[in-house]
Amino acid sequence: MIMTHPGLPLYWAYAIGMMMLLLGGLTMALKPAKHSTSRTISLAKLPLLGGLFRFLVKYTWPLLLLKVVFSALFITVITAGLWGTPIVERNLATTLTWNLWWTGIIIAIVFSGSAWCAVCPWDNIASWLVNHSIWRRSNSNSRLQLKLPNSLRSLWPASLLFIGFTWLELGIGIVASPYATAMLALLMLILATTTLALFEDKAFCRYICPVGRTVGAYSQLSPIALRPIDSEICRKCKTLECFHGSDNIAPCPTKIVMGRLQENTYCTSCGNCTQSCPSSNVSWQLRSPSSEAIKEAKPHLDEAFFLLILLSLTLFHGLTMLDYWEGYLSTMAQMINDSGQLIISFSIGLAVTLMLPIFIYCLALGLTQGLLKKHLKELVTTPSFSKLFSGFSFVSLPLAFSYHIAHNLTHFVRESSDWISLLANPLGTGAEPLSMMEKHMRHMEMMVSENTLFVMQGAVIAMGFIIAMLVIRHRGQRLFAAQGIALLPMILFAALVTGFNLWMLVQPMTMRM
Amino acid sequence: MNKMTITTPILSALLLCTVTLFSSLTYAHHVLGRPSYSLNEDSNTPPSMAIETQIGEYFVTYMVFPAFPKPNEPGRVNIYATRIDNGAMLDQAITFTVRDDTFWGESIGGATEPEVIGQQHIDDGVYRQGFLFKSRGSYIIRAYFEKNGEPYELDFPLQVGAASPVGPIGAAVGFIFFLLLMINIVQRKRIARTKIQQGHTA
Repeated sequence: MIMTHPGLPLYWAYAIGMMMLLLGGLTMALKPAKHSTSRTISLAKLPLLGGLFRFLVKYTWPLLLLKVVFSALFITVITAGLWGTPIVERNLATTLTWNLWWTGIIIAIVFSGSAWCAVCPWDNIASWLVNHSIWRRSNSNSRLQLKLPNSLRSLWPASLLFIGFTWLELGIGIVASPYATAMLALLMLILATTTLALFEDKAFCRYICPVGRTVGAYSQLSPIALRPIDSEICRKCKTLECFHGSDNIAPCPTKIVMGRLQENTYCTSCGNCTQSCPSSNVSWQLRSPSSEAIKEAKPHLDEAFFLLILLSLTLFHGLTMLDYWEGYLSTMAQMINDSGQLIISFSIGLAVTLMLPIFIYCLALGLTQGLLKKHLKELVTTPSFSKLFSGFSFVSLPLAFSYHIAHNLTHFVRESSDWISLLANPLGTGAEPLSMMEKHMRHMEMMVSENTLFVMQGAVIAMGFIIAMLVIRHRGQRLFAAQGIALLPMILFAALVTGFNLWMLVQPMTMRM
Repeated sequence: MNKMTITTPILSALLLCTVTLFSSLTYAHHVLGRPSYSLNEDSNTPPSMAIETQIGEYFVTYMVFPAFPKPNEPGRVNIYATRIDNGAMLDQAITFTVRDDTFWGESIGGATEPEVIGQQHIDDGVYRQGFLFKSRGSYIIRAYFEKNGEPYELDFPLQVGAASPVGPIGAAVGFIFFLLLMINIVQRKRIARTKIQQGHTA
């Protein structure tokens, strides 16, 4: 019996719809935005908590302790997956990986930015194995330090792996197999170790890891990030320890100079800069979630595609958990004579869902280009399609992130597991499958009340649209001198995606396990 | 004489304990009164692996002999099915199929299509299906029947021969060890070459 969670009440959809109309109109009507810098608060400067944050970023052992804890959990997941019970809900491998980590990591970005990458067991275990050092800068010759081939120096490897992950998760169903979950974990560990041993810097984190790149992309909208406490100290700095490292601390794994850091995309929050800076000038900072949205930087084409693929895959995740999905699969299978696990029908659905949002985005860009030609006339050269493509691609980020959080909140709040029993018996030895009564109990016992969940989901979706409007207004005006009616196609694109997201949230959603 | 009478029972008790302890380690020579060497897949009470389950309207007992068959060794599946409500026996043809149980083979279709190993009718209250696997591997035997328009599928995992000695962990550790070793050798050669070149330049 498939159990479903109730969807968002319809009045939320109407309320957000009204807000979208109002905001869309305002975005077109308002005059060009002046260059402004958003306010920030350095957590190291807070009266009471400041000392704690300074301590946490300065010393190595708190982070090392966290790394050891997460690595131990990772090894337990592999052990449970390979040798534990095949009962999905009783095995720590599947519950911890898919119910807690895969759902919680997206929500955690809101509170901790890209901090997950700092404790990521894939990279940490690989580093310990390859560098032969627990935390100090390694001088060993255990790495070949080859240059990564140019063809791989983009986000395409991460994009393809992310599509592959989605296919394995939703199509093949590794979510329902502890063994396959453990195999995937091992595979990622091998990939991280091989890349670290062969290539210079951290090519795996920078170009290949789909989780790291997703966290990096979303963390641009996080209200917390690692930044200089005093930018003047960074401006005067000549030694750049944050980039080169120090005697004991390794250099920045993704080659970032903290003083010039504008976007959070490639910061892995590893803490090397906080520990190597001789002035202790790097710490966590609170900022507006839209502070990077109103910046003018244009992503490269591969980065732009990654953002759009992220949006498509997020929508696809939602789609596959609706009642309609089964009907689609069945119809498609009948049309193409697919049978068994309907993997071909699923793959077609995935391909279409991947391409459709990108196609609609391109259509909106085409209209924007046409309107710009008409309005700018001979005054300014009309921007090329590829420039528009990368310039506006950031708009998909808040739309994807907001839906991803809203969707995951349902899983997270409604699908809690009996963690004490799971940790006491991670392999699920002798455990019985969940009875119908237990399933119903889990369904009913929510982490927060249903209304609180709806408020959070509604607020997150509304926030996503607000940031999307800020992106369209600021980037449109600064990068392409687009204003007024010229912004309409992109506003419609954002409204269409948000409308679709709301529609999905209103539908009942299938319970994962 | 008195001394003898005190020590004899103690020694006897110790001897009895020893015999009991060691005898529990020996394997049963007889299974329900029948010499074990005369047992095979056609015996009425062979040592086997069995499961009892409830599916739809039936209680099903599923038994495989031997529990861990080897390649080219004949085996047998027995099924007993009775209605939950009145205990009446199932009297319906059951089709037995076998398929590869490796995760990737099963999901992606790398494995061959399920192979029908036979269709059996009830015989003295039992459905008996013989099998013989030529190669080692993990398989799923499925018993399929339909009753009152409802399909019933019973899957039973079967390991034929010993499982692969190099599991995923062994392969992963082996690969990483080999990789790091190779890199270490290459790096040592590189350093030696650099030193020689520096020596020549100096």
